Amino acid sequence: MTNPPTGACLTDDLLQQLAHDELSPAKLAEVEEHVGHCDCCRAALELASSDAQWTNEIQPVLQRPAEPLPEWDECEELGIDTPRYESVLQLLGPTDDPNMLGRIGSYEVVGIIGRGGMGVVFKAFDRTLNRFVAIKMLLPHLAESGAARKRFAREGQAAAAVIDDHVLPIYSVAEWQGVPYLVTQYLRGSTLQKRIHQSGPLELKEIIRLGLQTARGLAAAHAQGLVHRDVKPSNILLDGTVERAMLTDFGLARAVDDASITRTGVISGTPQFMSPEQANGEPIDHRSDLFSLGSVLYAMCTGRPPFRAETTFGVLRKIRETSPRPIRETNPDIPTWLDAIVNRLLAKNQAERFATAAEVAELLEQCLAHVQQPTTHPLPPTLEALLQASAAQESPRPTHTEAAHLAPQRRRWLIGIPVAASLLAAGLFMIMNQQPGQVPVTADPPGEFTDESADGPSRRESSPSEPLTEWNSIRSAFRALDSELTGFESEIETARPSPSQTETEPLEVEAGANP
Amino acid sequence: MPEFPKTNPSLILRVRDLGDGASWHDFLAIYEPVVFRMARQRGLQTADAQDVMQAVFLSISQSIARWTGGPNQPPFRAWLITIARNAITKALSRRPRDVPAGSTSIVELLHAFPQQEITADEIATETRHEIVRRACDQIRVEFSEDIWRIFWVTSIEGVPIAEVARQTGRTPGSIYVARFRVVARLKDKVREISEMWDVREVTT
Repeated sequence: MTNPPTGACLTDDLLQQLAHDELSPAKLAEVEEHVGHCDCCRAALELASSDAQWTNEIQPVLQRPAEPLPEWDECEELGIDTPRYESVLQLLGPTDDPNMLGRIGSYEVVGIIGRGGMGVVFKAFDRTLNRFVAIKMLLPHLAESGAARKRFAREGQAAAAVIDDHVLPIYSVAEWQGVPYLVTQYLRGSTLQKRIHQSGPLELKEIIRLGLQTARGLAAAHAQGLVHRDVKPSNILLDGTVERAMLTDFGLARAVDDASITRTGVISGTPQFMSPEQANGEPIDHRSDLFSLGSVLYAMCTGRPPFRAETTFGVLRKIRETSPRPIRETNPDIPTWLDAIVNRLLAKNQAERFATAAEVAELLEQCLAHVQQPTTHPLPPTLEALLQASAAQESPRPTHTEAAHLAPQRRRWLIGIPVAASLLAAGLFMIMNQQPGQVPVTADPPGEFTDESADGPSRRESSPSEPLTEWNSIRSAFRALDSELTGFESEIETARPSPSQTETEPLEVEAGANP
Repeated sequence: MPEFPKTNPSLILRVRDLGDGASWHDFLAIYEPVVFRMARQRGLQTADAQDVMQAVFLSISQSIARWTGGPNQPPFRAWLITIARNAITKALSRRPRDVPAGSTSIVELLHAFPQQEITADEIATETRHEIVRRACDQIRVEFSEDIWRIFWVTSIEGVPIAEVARQTGRTPGSIYVARFRVVARLKDKVREISEMWDVREVTT
């Protein structure tokens, strides 16, 4: 060393500050300068990376690259081993980037966000604009007919013309190797479906706010002459920390339905939020969306869709013929006026519903103002008339109402969705109680509404061919525990059979007295 | 408004809070790889290892769903760790079932050998290793790319400081300091996570 060290040697305090990043840039530069010339200070710094902890434990671990876990997309990961989706994946063009799954057009696909009855949604990266996008692609077998492809493209273009705060922006519609796809904004948020699934019924303000925003999105679409046709919680995205409602998936399912129904006789996706006229195969207009909006509001109020049955056709029948269980029986916290609004939206006869989505939005806006500031904002006067009208309808109760035969005692237990169950057991429960042979209401992955009470406990063989799908549910169940709960007290339904009755090889593990 | 029959602290309020800022995300982030790697070390294929992961966490969830807690019980997180370890032990001690019938293949012969015993130590060791990796991932974002590279190249890959100084144009003094900062932070994080998950550090 030819130069003497500048400044004083490092004190313990200074070392501490250095370790905790508390030094100003000037001071840091000074230290660096000093250390460059001072052997003993260098040695002091090196102590940290030569002790036992470092050499025995930390350094060797980091020196040995560990096998990465099978790749999970950070969004909802889903099993991709089913034959249908293989065909989609085979479509993905090759890419040079080892981190990407493949290519669609000029987009680099990084993962799969989700799947539905008619297509797959990818997360992809747009190099030209340096942003992530979501790509919704039709299942190839549904894209075989030229008519279906044209319909998809047309619907996509029509939807792209709807610009509104509460409609997910569509960037483009294109085709890749003969399969049409949509490019939309990529949202990091969740869907209303997942929210309800994880937390049960929402708070009143949330319900009204989200209903209001959805109605606004619908109003914008209707103003363009577009009917959504598939309004349901999984098509309502919640954007950002404020959880702004964003409507997505306009009419596309239905655009494809015509093709697939004639081929397979099966309706794609879940029918639980369909309107009676849709269930009847009759021509529909914007008021069909209003019915579906009512069903969504119902689901937000009670945690369950209004019409449930074991089979698709059962659901459709109920939509056509029965009244849902009154909201206030499941959730007495819902005020009568909201109940009345939902009931009017759920009128079987289109003419009896509200006339427009804009009207509903306006009404809900006033209701929200009332809920937020009851003293300065009274309920809108039109609700008076609504309440009287619905009261008049209450007395002659339709014979098919589900709640009619339940003893009052039982009803009390229905109050309060068991959040614990829905977070842990139901996530697992649905896995463990699904009978493979049954016709499911929907082919969608766990997380869609299923009718758990339908059949009582049932056995399920552990099926090694679907490990990833089940795994996602378990992980989601765990992750869901991290999220904010709405403060809704949970009940543990002791009537519910415990998961240990299933056929999956149970690992009986108990903690000893000493961990 | 009808009265709700009140139960004792609901399961969700009890299980959601792991205490001390620990999250379920952390729990998964540590234990998933532990299970996966231990399964792979035992020669399982990726798909089979994933099956083991699923079995382990399914069983953990089932145990959680049965947990009652109370004043004489260990605190939840400590209990959870024990459960996790027991589940891992059980899962990896099980003999694989799909032995081909009637063939005297090498595979069958291998299956006939007793499985390598799983010890608590092994799990603890693997957990500690995973904690180191996780700590590393977590603190990495706290430093600039340059600083991190300097740390990694000198401390992990063993490239001499003089060489790095030459390549980066930085002074040796700044490299020593950079290393020190990263190492200090890393050890801090390892300690923090270890405390959270009750894993004893190496003390020699």
